[in-house]
Amino acid sequence: MGVAGDPPYLSIRRLTKRFGSFTALDDVSLDVFAREFVVFLGPSGCGKTTLLRAIAGLDIQTSGSIHQGGRDVSMLPPAERDFGIVFQSYALFPNLSVTDNVGYGLVSRGASKAEIKARVSELLALVGLPDSGAKYPSQLSGGQQQRVALARALAISPGLLLLDEPLSALDARVRQHLRQELKELQRKLGITTIMVTHDQEEALALADRIVVMNHGVIDQVGSPTEIYRKPASPFVADFVGTMNFLKGAVSEAGMVAIGGRRFRVDGLNGMAPGTAALVCIRPEDVKTRNVEPGTENALEVEVRSLEFLGSFARARLVPSDGAELDLVADFSINLLRDLRVEPGIRLPVALPPDRLRAFPQ
Amino acid sequence: MTTATAPLVRPKASRDDLIMRGGLVLFAAVLLVIVALPLWSLLSKSFQDHNGNFIGFANYLRYVQTPALFQSFWNSLFIAVITTSIVVPLAFVYAYALTRSCMRFKALFQGLALIPILAPSLLPALSLIYLFGNQGLLKGWLFGQPVYGPVGIIAAQVFYCFPHALMILVTALSMADQRLYESADALGASRLRKFLTVTLPGAKYGLISTSFVIFTLVITDFGIAKVVGGRFNVLATDIYKQVIGQQNFEMGAVVGVILLVPALLSFAVDRIVARRQVAQLSARAVPFEPKPRRARDLALTIFCLVIGLMIFAVFAVAVWASFITFWPYNLTLTLKNYEFGNFDPLGWGVYWNSLLMASATAVFGTALVFLGAYLVEKSNRFGIGRGFVHLLAMIPLAVPGLVLGLSYIFFFNMKGNPLNVLYGTMAILVVNTVAHFYTVSHLTAMTALKQLDAEFEAVSASLKVPVWRTFFRVTVPICLPAILDVAIYLFVNAMTTVSAVIFLYSSETKLAALAIVNMDESGFTAGAAGMATVIAVTSAAVKLAQLGLSRLLSRTQAWRKR
Repeated sequence: MGVAGDPPYLSIRRLTKRFGSFTALDDVSLDVFAREFVVFLGPSGCGKTTLLRAIAGLDIQTSGSIHQGGRDVSMLPPAERDFGIVFQSYALFPNLSVTDNVGYGLVSRGASKAEIKARVSELLALVGLPDSGAKYPSQLSGGQQQRVALARALAISPGLLLLDEPLSALDARVRQHLRQELKELQRKLGITTIMVTHDQEEALALADRIVVMNHGVIDQVGSPTEIYRKPASPFVADFVGTMNFLKGAVSEAGMVAIGGRRFRVDGLNGMAPGTAALVCIRPEDVKTRNVEPGTENALEVEVRSLEFLGSFARARLVPSDGAELDLVADFSINLLRDLRVEPGIRLPVALPPDRLRAFPQ
Repeated sequence: MTTATAPLVRPKASRDDLIMRGGLVLFAAVLLVIVALPLWSLLSKSFQDHNGNFIGFANYLRYVQTPALFQSFWNSLFIAVITTSIVVPLAFVYAYALTRSCMRFKALFQGLALIPILAPSLLPALSLIYLFGNQGLLKGWLFGQPVYGPVGIIAAQVFYCFPHALMILVTALSMADQRLYESADALGASRLRKFLTVTLPGAKYGLISTSFVIFTLVITDFGIAKVVGGRFNVLATDIYKQVIGQQNFEMGAVVGVILLVPALLSFAVDRIVARRQVAQLSARAVPFEPKPRRARDLALTIFCLVIGLMIFAVFAVAVWASFITFWPYNLTLTLKNYEFGNFDPLGWGVYWNSLLMASATAVFGTALVFLGAYLVEKSNRFGIGRGFVHLLAMIPLAVPGLVLGLSYIFFFNMKGNPLNVLYGTMAILVVNTVAHFYTVSHLTAMTALKQLDAEFEAVSASLKVPVWRTFFRVTVPICLPAILDVAIYLFVNAMTTVSAVIFLYSSETKLAALAIVNMDESGFTAGAAGMATVIAVTSAAVKLAQLGLSRLLSRTQAWRKR
């Protein structure tokens, strides 16, 4: 991965894209470093695909600039930029064999037949389809088609690989498998890669850095851990993973009043007393074991319902005294057994201050 | 946030973009010359006197005030309304039988009903003359009423229009969602209620569209009224008489503009309907599977048998009569009616002319249409150019052949038009026919192109492959079946068309379908029937060749197998 301090490989400055009166991208700036795997994450319509297509030159931005490898490519058509792309539909040419699809870009570069043949077999071996050259796309499974599309994009050794929701047309199982392969391949080749997805799990699993987008602006850029642990906005907190949102107000330095109780919150980000605050905690961060008298931010709750989710169960909790403070917390199956948790029972839980984050409302 | 003053990015056009934009501009120019400018000269002619002075609506006023002329307007309207109200219900039941019943021999019945498409509209008219004309076999059936006039026109129109109505209605009725019928069953709806609440609403747009198409077809058809119209004048024959008979071009132009009105109206309705029709059938719909019901299936079989046999009989009578020595007195078979030299100075030459014209139309027309559709569908940005070309391509659908033909006279005869060298040549017939049938071909090509993955061009650009290479290597091979469809459509129509080219042929470039009109005019009805038969056989052969060729394609091209 690129070291901070190196000049970025891709530098996006103040990019805005309008379609008529609709603003799809609003003053977006971003740096991508060489050999990095960056994922654009967001709900549909957030501008992530628009940004990718602007980088490719397929839908050129209304204003703003893009530099790639030190070259200003802002106004250039796709054919004069340096990238390979895989679309959600793969866009494989159905009337050409796998070999011809992969070699499609090589023929125009004046490579000899032998060179093309060697390069194509090398690429097919790389994506794990060494024997499928003679087949047509319609004879391949979705996952295999995806690999062929990847091989075709890599054939011309582009400086930048763009992936537009490449896994979303596949079955869940194939998707997980291909996800790992994609990551390994990217590491091996060291190619700078940008992928667009709406699947947060995919983003967390693949990315070196995640760019979370919403309504045409970037909400947060960070490593998967940062995005998950320290979401920069309620939107990011809600979109990535599951999150409890508790409405309250800052009462004094470091303390927030929620439903008649006061909680210590570490991540208060200097909000002044009196400010309305939205306090967040992930279900798995709610402390359910070893909560003793004197544990900070403890409260007694009643289990309302339990949702069995395989290796753990997600419980809906309400304070025993009836205060308004609905919580969702995860219980491991072991814990469930040990504590004999079932709907109706009461137990103490705590909200660790270092796991609480607050946003102004 | 955003700064209103941020400098706008001016995208640089790639070489591919420049090629495609150049192509679009060229295309706009071509379509202007072969469609828009001729129509403009027709329109302006209708506002001029003999000497070319602008006289406002004077010609129109004279038209309305001349009873002999204005009567044709009502006559045309009458014929069109009656024909439409006969054809649409018949075709609806026939289409219903083909799509919603468990009738047997569906393919056979469908084939029977489509026969009239293969021949010029003149053929059913000729048959009617053989059956009910002055020497008709069944003359007595009309109780002394002459077949020449409204009765003959309507009867011939019904036969000629039936397949056109049937094709639209079959499409409309085959788009049905089984789940709607299952829900209706579950709610205990009666058969009548299901028909009224599910079937009819589903086919509503198809019915509206069909009615307008048939109405326009009847009002703009020239051949039938010419052959069996007798003294009953309609708009289409009026144009011909005004222009060819009396050399009154201005009045011809007025009638032409009037003829444009119903066609434009039907065009507009069709567009609106087409827009609403979208998403009638979602991707998740379950295709309708008819269940056998003996009484219904039997009744529909009898209905189709009667209609199908009548269509076949009408077709067969003309073919049979073309082999008869002297109708109806000497019914021995002969080939002398195929010695066309006896009826027309060019003899078989008119047929070779037609073959040449139809082939040229198919080859050049298909190339032009497909390239044009490709430029419209696949160009980047340049919305104005794409929209303009698409609009121009839609115009011919709303322009009756006669009107287009007349427009060509005005435009290509204009003093100072460098293109008037084309006048009287085979080339102008080809250009005119391509223009005449442009829209349907364009839409067929567009539909095929829209089914391609929208990202093929983007992928090619990312691989630095020039656009023309992807066009020839990927787009054309995938679209081959559609290209074949367009070529056959153009060929068959070029073989059978009369209305537009009747103003444009010269003695050397006379076409087979036009020779039918001439022979009939000169009393050589048998020769006319013979020529109609030759054309029908040619169209049928070409259709069969297409069928074989598309089978071959799906068998030899492994990638087409799923």
